Amino acid sequence: MNALERILSDFGSPAGAAPARLAAAQALRTHALPTRRAENWRYANLRALEAVRSFLPGPPPTISPALPPTLPGFSRLVFIDGHHHPQQSLPDASLIERLRHAGGRIPDESTVPFVSAGDGRFGLIARMFAPEPLALRVEGTLALELVSITTAEAQGSYLELDVLLAPHAQLELVERHLGGAGPTGWSCVELDLQLAEHAELTHTRLLQSAPDALHYDTVAVLVGAHGYYRLRQVGAGAQTARSTTQVRLAGRDARVQIRALATARGTQTCDAQFGVLHEAPGTHSDQLFRGIASDRAHVACSADVQVAAAAPGARVVQSLRGLIDGAGAEVDLRPRLTINTDEVQAAHGATTGRLDDDVLFYLLSRGLGPAEARSLLKWAFLAEALNAIEPPALRRAAGQAAAARLADTPATELLQ
Amino acid sequence: MNTPLLQIDNLTVSAGGTPVLHGVSLSVNAGEVHAIMGPNGSGKSTLAHVLAGRPGYLITGGTVRFDGADLLALPAEERARAGLFLGFQYPVEIPGVSNAYLLKAALNARRRHLGEQEIDAFDFLNMVRERMRTMHIDDALLTRGVNEGFSGGEKKRNEILQMLVMEPRLALLDETDSGLDIDALKIVGRGINSLRAAERAVVVITHYQRLLDYVVPDQVHVLARGRIVRSGDRALAVELERRGYDWLLEPATAMA
Repeated sequence: MNALERILSDFGSPAGAAPARLAAAQALRTHALPTRRAENWRYANLRALEAVRSFLPGPPPTISPALPPTLPGFSRLVFIDGHHHPQQSLPDASLIERLRHAGGRIPDESTVPFVSAGDGRFGLIARMFAPEPLALRVEGTLALELVSITTAEAQGSYLELDVLLAPHAQLELVERHLGGAGPTGWSCVELDLQLAEHAELTHTRLLQSAPDALHYDTVAVLVGAHGYYRLRQVGAGAQTARSTTQVRLAGRDARVQIRALATARGTQTCDAQFGVLHEAPGTHSDQLFRGIASDRAHVACSADVQVAAAAPGARVVQSLRGLIDGAGAEVDLRPRLTINTDEVQAAHGATTGRLDDDVLFYLLSRGLGPAEARSLLKWAFLAEALNAIEPPALRRAAGQAAAARLADTPATELLQ
Repeated sequence: MNTPLLQIDNLTVSAGGTPVLHGVSLSVNAGEVHAIMGPNGSGKSTLAHVLAGRPGYLITGGTVRFDGADLLALPAEERARAGLFLGFQYPVEIPGVSNAYLLKAALNARRRHLGEQEIDAFDFLNMVRERMRTMHIDDALLTRGVNEGFSGGEKKRNEILQMLVMEPRLALLDETDSGLDIDALKIVGRGINSLRAAERAVVVITHYQRLLDYVVPDQVHVLARGRIVRSGDRALAVELERRGYDWLLEPATAMA
């Protein structure tokens, strides 16, 4: 059996399954898994799925893995192999009250379609198997950290989260995907985020799965009028990682700002896809991606912006840069911009290259050693994306995660 | 007789298969300021970059001794740590690396080489701010990326600031005066002069005599077609300003 057949077989026909799970299974059956022939999946390592022994979610954990330090002012929810781990969570009471729900889904999934048909297929798998789907409605302000740890070697770890921000609500959402101590299997995550008018969401994602893991995630975002979605994403984990983010700017003057970076070494693959659809007048998107591939690793980023005819006055900024730092390393950047209205301001650029010899020599001429100079320049290359991360403790953690996948370790001073 | 701080003997260099320097010889003693002048394409910048250890040049002959050691045997970073400073004609921009970080890293690299302790953060800031005042550089530039968004004049002043912080034994300043207005030229000149000391030397590479109004050289050399064709005192620079270089390029007047 191929991977799709095994996924559907493992899911089976569970009696009493929530309608959303059954609908997801049916949708997956209809669309099937993507292949590398699809433009948006050219660089994803889909063959790695064939090695997953079982797609069933792992059992509730019996261990309590070490966790990163808490972030001041943040509630924390910990999931191990997709199961909520209340002993290690630090939510406030109102958060618990707001979080749990049984089987249903809010917001309505039908309101968050993907820009590109089929890119949400891994999200369907998370929806089929997530043992404890969560939904959260945010009024006022909230700071929430989700820590998801995958320990199951032979089974899947699934997380599904729906968030609805009420008008004028403000959410700081930190998502950390970590690997356990031992060899790990595959993790699959789906997030549906809806921002009502004037709502703001700062979403920081540290993707730090274990070095031999498979990680696929799907994030769908709908931004209402005057809403602002800020995404900070650090891809620094897993043997094979694929992140798919699709943002719809559905309301007038809605904004999205993406600051993303990826580092990979050895034979790792890190593939990120960001789609933004400008649907309303005065919308603004600003995407920045920095990726470094060392050794024989592969970093890919596809950034697809579509400006609909109904979105005059849209502003689009897109900057993608890749750094190749190994004889067998590969970076693929694919900027795409489709504009269907006349009144648009757009600035975009995509470059891939190696470290600049002139800049290297400048540093050497100041007495820095070659390794230090190279490390410093790589760090500088990532800085624009990294510096957008707040609070500083999280930025340090993100920097350390990214540094772990560089060929040269940055000076300790830079990691502070 | 004291050993020269810099001793170049019959240096020949090719770049991309083309000979650029055809046997340069030069001796610079500690405490001296030398000016190297010459027309475009004469090899002035090549000489400076070769001395600083830039890759891409083929040394085909000759020797260079710095403070008695074989300079050409050292990689670029060791030349810098040993006290050789190159002020770039076109300083690069390095977004993401702050001026403060580079200055401190450069200074500490030199201090470690000299067997000294790394500088304390407080002392470093005090020292840098004092030198920034000398160079009329705003404190805010300390936290900005190296040369990032700097004007041409700010970049050149920043080069001199780096030099003042690193306190090199030998400073090679490659057309530091180019693109400077008269006020900036005075500031740069003041910065260079503040480094003059008995144990140090400065080699100023320039097209024009005007910097030499502020940094008075002990010797002036004319580099043309890859050779030093004339050496003299400050009067030579004045004469070059008046007559240009053509009279030195005629075979009958060129020195071997």
